[in-house]
Amino acid sequence: MLKYILRRMVAAIPVLFGLSIVLFAFVHLLPGDPTRAILGQHATPEAVARIRESLGLDKPMWQQYVIYMGQLLRGDLGASIVTGAPVREDFAARFPGTIELTIAALIFAAGLGIPLGRFAARHPQQWQDGFVTVISLLGISIPIFVLGLSLQWGFGANLHWLPTSGRIDPRLNISTVTGFMLIDTVIARSPQGFFDAAKHLVLPAIALGSIPLAIITRITRASVLDVSNEDYVRTARAKGLTERRVDDRHIMRNAWLPVVTVIGLQVGGLLAGAVITETIFAWTGVGKWVVDAIQDRDYFIVQGSILIFAIIFLVVNLLVDILYAYLNPRIRYS
Amino acid sequence: MTSTVASLTPAAEARASRGLWRDAFSRMLRNKPALIGVFLIIVFVLAALLAPVLGPDGPYQTYPGASLKPPSQAHLFGTDRLARDMFTRVLYGAQISLVVGVVSVVMGLSIGVLMGALAGAFGGWVDAVMMRTVDVLLSIPGILLAIGIVAWLGRGYPQIMLAVAVTNVPIFARLLRGSLLALRESEFVIAARSIGASPGRLLVRHMMPNALTPLIVAATLALATAIIDVAGLGFLGLGPPDPRTPEWGTMLTDARSFLQRAPWLLIFPGLAISLTAIGFNMVGDGLRESLDPRMKR
Amino acid sequence: MPLLEVRDLVVRFRTHEGTIHAVNGISFDLEPGERLGLVGESGCGKSVTNLAILRLLPKPAGRIEGGSVRFDGMDLVSLPESEMRDLRGKEIAMIFQDPMTSLNPVLTIEEQMVETIRAHRGVTMAEARTRALELLEMVGIPQPEKRLKAFPHQFSGGMRQRVMIAMALSLEPKLMIADEPTTALDVTIQAQVLELLQRLTSEAGTALILITHDLGVVAGMTSRINVMYAGFIVETAATEAVFERPSHPYTVGLLHSIPHVGGEDAELIPIEGVPPDQRHAPSGCPFAPRCAWRVEACWREMPSLAPVAGEPVGRVVTSGPETTHQAACHNPPTPEEAAGGQPLRPGFVPAPPPGSDPVAGTPGAPGMSAAAQREGGQ
Repeated sequence: MLKYILRRMVAAIPVLFGLSIVLFAFVHLLPGDPTRAILGQHATPEAVARIRESLGLDKPMWQQYVIYMGQLLRGDLGASIVTGAPVREDFAARFPGTIELTIAALIFAAGLGIPLGRFAARHPQQWQDGFVTVISLLGISIPIFVLGLSLQWGFGANLHWLPTSGRIDPRLNISTVTGFMLIDTVIARSPQGFFDAAKHLVLPAIALGSIPLAIITRITRASVLDVSNEDYVRTARAKGLTERRVDDRHIMRNAWLPVVTVIGLQVGGLLAGAVITETIFAWTGVGKWVVDAIQDRDYFIVQGSILIFAIIFLVVNLLVDILYAYLNPRIRYS
Repeated sequence: MTSTVASLTPAAEARASRGLWRDAFSRMLRNKPALIGVFLIIVFVLAALLAPVLGPDGPYQTYPGASLKPPSQAHLFGTDRLARDMFTRVLYGAQISLVVGVVSVVMGLSIGVLMGALAGAFGGWVDAVMMRTVDVLLSIPGILLAIGIVAWLGRGYPQIMLAVAVTNVPIFARLLRGSLLALRESEFVIAARSIGASPGRLLVRHMMPNALTPLIVAATLALATAIIDVAGLGFLGLGPPDPRTPEWGTMLTDARSFLQRAPWLLIFPGLAISLTAIGFNMVGDGLRESLDPRMKR
Repeated sequence: MPLLEVRDLVVRFRTHEGTIHAVNGISFDLEPGERLGLVGESGCGKSVTNLAILRLLPKPAGRIEGGSVRFDGMDLVSLPESEMRDLRGKEIAMIFQDPMTSLNPVLTIEEQMVETIRAHRGVTMAEARTRALELLEMVGIPQPEKRLKAFPHQFSGGMRQRVMIAMALSLEPKLMIADEPTTALDVTIQAQVLELLQRLTSEAGTALILITHDLGVVAGMTSRINVMYAGFIVETAATEAVFERPSHPYTVGLLHSIPHVGGEDAELIPIEGVPPDQRHAPSGCPFAPRCAWRVEACWREMPSLAPVAGEPVGRVVTSGPETTHQAACHNPPTPEEAAGGQPLRPGFVPAPPPGSDPVAGTPGAPGMSAAAQREGGQ
């Protein structure tokens, strides 16, 4: 099992390598001066000189790459061209917001998706199945921005139950300790704050989680149906076990495996979707920051963020693989 | 169950694959959701084709004094901030989405199939290089990749198409490679080789037709995501450079500013995108079920 | 009193593509402790019959649409599901063909055995575990303590089947149904598993229904055989009688399509044709298209089981050592024909399907018309 983990970790390295090369090449292979490409409209002579120096643009290409990799490995992601602030710190400050939103969306998607999928699998080809299929279809077909805007409209104009923007009511004055609003409100001993923060999470989490909801529902349904047709389920029934026991121990224990994998794979899509969701709901996280940076051509923010996202994505995939190997005795004990 | 040995003569094979298609076609006809999907797609295509007819004044025409008006007989979908008819704009938006969507998927399909075919046919280091590239592409979450490409290469239709195409490439490449690898080891290919079929003949005659069906399903579903992604780019301000363009996603940026005052700015383009995507998804799902030769029921 | 009485059992599957007539009215009995073989090719309904007995037919397609099944006096068809569940595993146990797929891959052997025991008996985990250990020893699994904690994929095929047998016998059922228990195993392992099955069922006095398509398997294991074809029982007799004096053309065909090691150079006579499409309701004898003995009546009417020539007249015995040898045939093969594998009556021609040339096809009897004789000469 340990060998399996190590093998998977080793396999991830070339991908990261490749990505760093791609990002490096991007700037240098575009026609024209790399400093122009990076600075775009911010190209003051001082800025140009600064960039030239820090990137070592007068040195040979391979040396530049070494400098670049050295910086990356030290965790130096450069600084914002606009504000001058180090990318790493700004990212760290904003990241908890995105994580909180992503986790909330995932809880929503899995918490609703798995029971829905099981429900559909119990009544294959009947109206319950059709109903769940429709929900699933809507989830992947309605774009996040359409759903998000619709939720904002519905709850903003007409039903004032839920807030439609921001992470918390600013008048509550909660100080930022961890960056996770739900935790910070607990630290500040403010139950009102906690509930307010939670309320702010609802609509964005639903919008962001709509696609994972659809996918998780589908895969759960398919997995439960597949497993239900397996021979060992028939054996379990032939042994006289109650339907409940057959369902829990024999069907679900086996049906979980693909579902877990899929949930893990959703994380990448969630990070992407966070970009749009944060923009719509004015949520201070990394997503919106990156999009603004792209539009401002604030190169180092974009590069650093993409790299971190990629690392997170690969790490999550690795964890999912490990979890799968752990849950599946056929891999664990071989 | 009695088993039938797959015949390898070209005539018999052609008969067999036509049989599969005919069977799939008749199954599709019975599949209600798929038919609804086909209907939606037809509506979408008709909207694109008939835009000049149904909206004769064009998407840029303004109607002074009628800005931000709700739906009425004169303006079926209302008017926007610049007093333009939303109905006409949504119709013309269908043209953009249709063309950009189809071209992106075709591009992604071509590149992906080429990569997958090379990887699957040659194996070895060719395979390794192709698949590492695919992995790198996949390590950047979907829309960020598209955003990155458009932001760096600038705004414009070719860039948008390229960006969306690139997000599709990994899916097609992996799919085709997987099919080819599985087929390489499958019994009927080994049988064909044992009677002396050459690698080229093998690829074209025996393996591709089988690998084709999952690709068709994937391409249909990819069209749905392409339309959504293109609109997404538009929503984030990375759509076609001309700000007057009636692109569905770009229309929604306006909708944001006037959400409470003029919800029809959201409803109609939003419905257009969603229904089109629903249509392609339903057809894709229907195809997947119908083309599955294993009769599970 | 027979342990199991099946009367006119009808099972059908309702699917999108039509109704499949899997079992078409079969009847048989089983005495306590008796071992019955159910023989036939794929699709003949032998597995379906037994799934029907345990009410494990795949829902919603599979349904019992007629007949009755009485076990220990109780009618199983109308029994409430909760009582049926009590019976399963405890009174009637079933083992299946492929032990790899029949065991849950994510649970240990211990968990699977213990849950069986505790589902029917209120014993503690420790007691159930002890019993599981006993059972593993009984079926000859070495190092049972270690093996209990193992997962199914860590066993070989033969061992897995032993575990299945152990699980099935854990509650000392009155009836064990074994559906092709050795088909998925290597030949050498087959013998071991069969021997185990035979020994354990004899010792405990468990009745056994052994389902297989392999005549070699039933030869040593069973005291009685039912031969099934297309959802009907076409022959039933004591095991030796089936081998010595097969009385249905299908049985004859089966026996002659197996090579005998060390036998004379007997010809292998394959049964021509293919099994019928069971999407159509049966009319006439289902074996008629492939039968070398068929007469005109065979196309029209399904023959019912009747005692073969030479059986004692009087009451028909349906179970136990005195079972009457019966066959469902309008024109059963004579013993000499059975030994030879084809009809030996001069000038006999199998009756053609109704609606074809009416000239040929009169019942085989000595002294036929010249025309028929010419036909028979071909």
